[in-house]
Amino acid sequence: MINIEKIQNRQPFITETEAGVFLVKLKKEFYEQEAVMQASYKFTNTCFIKIDAMEEGYVGIWFKAKLELHVDPELLLCEFCNEVLDQQVRLDLEKRYGTIRDSIYQFAFAPIKDRIEDLDG
Amino acid sequence: MMRNEYSILPFTFKRLPHRKMLMVNQSGEFIFVSSNDFNDLLNNDLSAGSPTYFELKGKHFLADTDLDIAQEMVATQLRSRKSFLRHFSSLHMIVVTARCNFICDYCHASSAALEQQRVDMNWKVAKKTVDLIFSSPSPVLKIEFQGGEPLLNWPIIKEIFHYGTFLNRFAKRQLEFVICTNLTLLTEEMIDFIKEHKIAISTSLDGPKLIQDLHRKTREGYSGYDVFHSNLQRLRERIGHDGASALLTITKTNLSKLQEVIDHYVELGFDGVFLRALNPYGFARQNMEQLGYSVEAFVSEYKNILQYLIELNLQGIPFAEYYTTLLLQRIFTPFSTGFVDLQSPSGAAISGVIYDYNGEVYPTDEARMLARTGDKHFRMGHVLRNNYEEVFGGSLVKELVKKSCIEVLPGCASCVYQAYCGVDPIRNYVETKDIVGHRPSSDFCKKNTMILDHLFQLIDENDPDVIDVFWSWITRRPLEEIRHDKFSRNSP
Ligand code: SF4
Repeated sequence: MINIEKIQNRQPFITETEAGVFLVKLKKEFYEQEAVMQASYKFTNTCFIKIDAMEEGYVGIWFKAKLELHVDPELLLCEFCNEVLDQQVRLDLEKRYGTIRDSIYQFAFAPIKDRIEDLDG
Repeated sequence: MMRNEYSILPFTFKRLPHRKMLMVNQSGEFIFVSSNDFNDLLNNDLSAGSPTYFELKGKHFLADTDLDIAQEMVATQLRSRKSFLRHFSSLHMIVVTARCNFICDYCHASSAALEQQRVDMNWKVAKKTVDLIFSSPSPVLKIEFQGGEPLLNWPIIKEIFHYGTFLNRFAKRQLEFVICTNLTLLTEEMIDFIKEHKIAISTSLDGPKLIQDLHRKTREGYSGYDVFHSNLQRLRERIGHDGASALLTITKTNLSKLQEVIDHYVELGFDGVFLRALNPYGFARQNMEQLGYSVEAFVSEYKNILQYLIELNLQGIPFAEYYTTLLLQRIFTPFSTGFVDLQSPSGAAISGVIYDYNGEVYPTDEARMLARTGDKHFRMGHVLRNNYEEVFGGSLVKELVKKSCIEVLPGCASCVYQAYCGVDPIRNYVETKDIVGHRPSSDFCKKNTMILDHLFQLIDENDPDVIDVFWSWITRRPLEEIRHDKFSRNSP
């Protein structure tokens, strides 16, 4: 059973903008567009999703659950918030790996001859 | 507070219950860590003397003074994992006839009646097919005869075998032949030929007589199981026990009776089974109501039966589940498994390819069945009209490769199971009309996620009995040997 009051009281970052439509507002300072997009993609089976700019410094993600799926919005949107966070961690990690991923792939797929030359210095 | 100096190497991760994290690096090595350690790792606060630090370093999740070596190690393992790419187009399936003496509920889209001999492959198409196969650069060539029921066009099987063997006197490849047959039409002459030329046999077994005959019906109404059973014995007496393997198709009927099915496999002397979920192709798709089941139902039975198989092995009956074995090989070893469904880029067309009786070439049997139902999107070319470069270097194959690299697919790119999973572009197309597909609604993704979640739970629980059985499956060695080796390693 969906308990909107509970959502509004306990999860202030989630608001119900109209019946059945929920808004998650995220600060762009902490979350990049790619993290928001990737996290949203994972929820496209259960929800219709719209992403739009909001007031200065915020991005809004609107969710409308697909009727046939009977999902609990509170649980779902809390999961979404965790997912954006994890996606942002992945992006931050990507930046820290720097070119390491590319060099691993280059080395792995280099012709054997180049690799032997590499190893011989 | 002074931060520790180390570089983090690329990895993916997943949160598990009880504040645990699963991390998998690019070469497929995995580690479980607490979320505290995970946070410390990200914040460069992980103490250099801690056991987690050493484990992360040893498994190439971080590097301190040895970044170059660590990168090379990961790259070398990644190269092994992708070694299937060096065997470009090694599996060649030839549909020597679309005729079949069976009308199975799950595949009769492609089976024609016995009198329709126009759907047999003729010598002109067969010769060109073999010529095309030998244009492949792969050092290993496996030719698999399929149907319909391939034994209905036995003369062309022999012609292809002789011509292929002749060409191989100059090409010098590792050449193997397999016949996929329901066994019911096997004659003494065929058995002699199979034995003399060491041809492998792959057959189908869905369970005991009642189950087997329910969806695998003969056109003439006799029990296919009875003939299958006596011919299997006849064949084994001549070519030995390991000469024939069997494939199981799981329908709604046998899903809840898998234990009975396994017992029957054991009774017939098979040493393993491939728990294959029904795929939504051809007529099976239209009969889903009668034959199909949810991914959840499949995985729930999979878990039960995996437990049952582990117990069987512990009781001294060696019997493996092959899909689990493939996944475990990918989890525990850096080697390529060569299984087309678990490859990135997908094995469709670049590892395996199928030639229809009329000379049309498709990346997979499923693509061929799709064509049979009217959609020829995946037709790669024709053996009489196209050469090797046109068939394998055409825009379709390039598109298949480009759009089936798991490392960049939406959803898969950040998935923790990326190193172990694969891509099925044909199935994506069937489900979404797009080769890229849609992971959040994909049953293929859901099934692999649920199975891998379960396997990693078992690995994390680390029950020595379970792990020993897993290793005996991975290495194809008896359980006693695995235990003996472990005991010898651990003794002073
Ligand atoms: S298909 Fe699913 S389980 Fe497999 S890698 Fe992609 S997202 Fe992960």
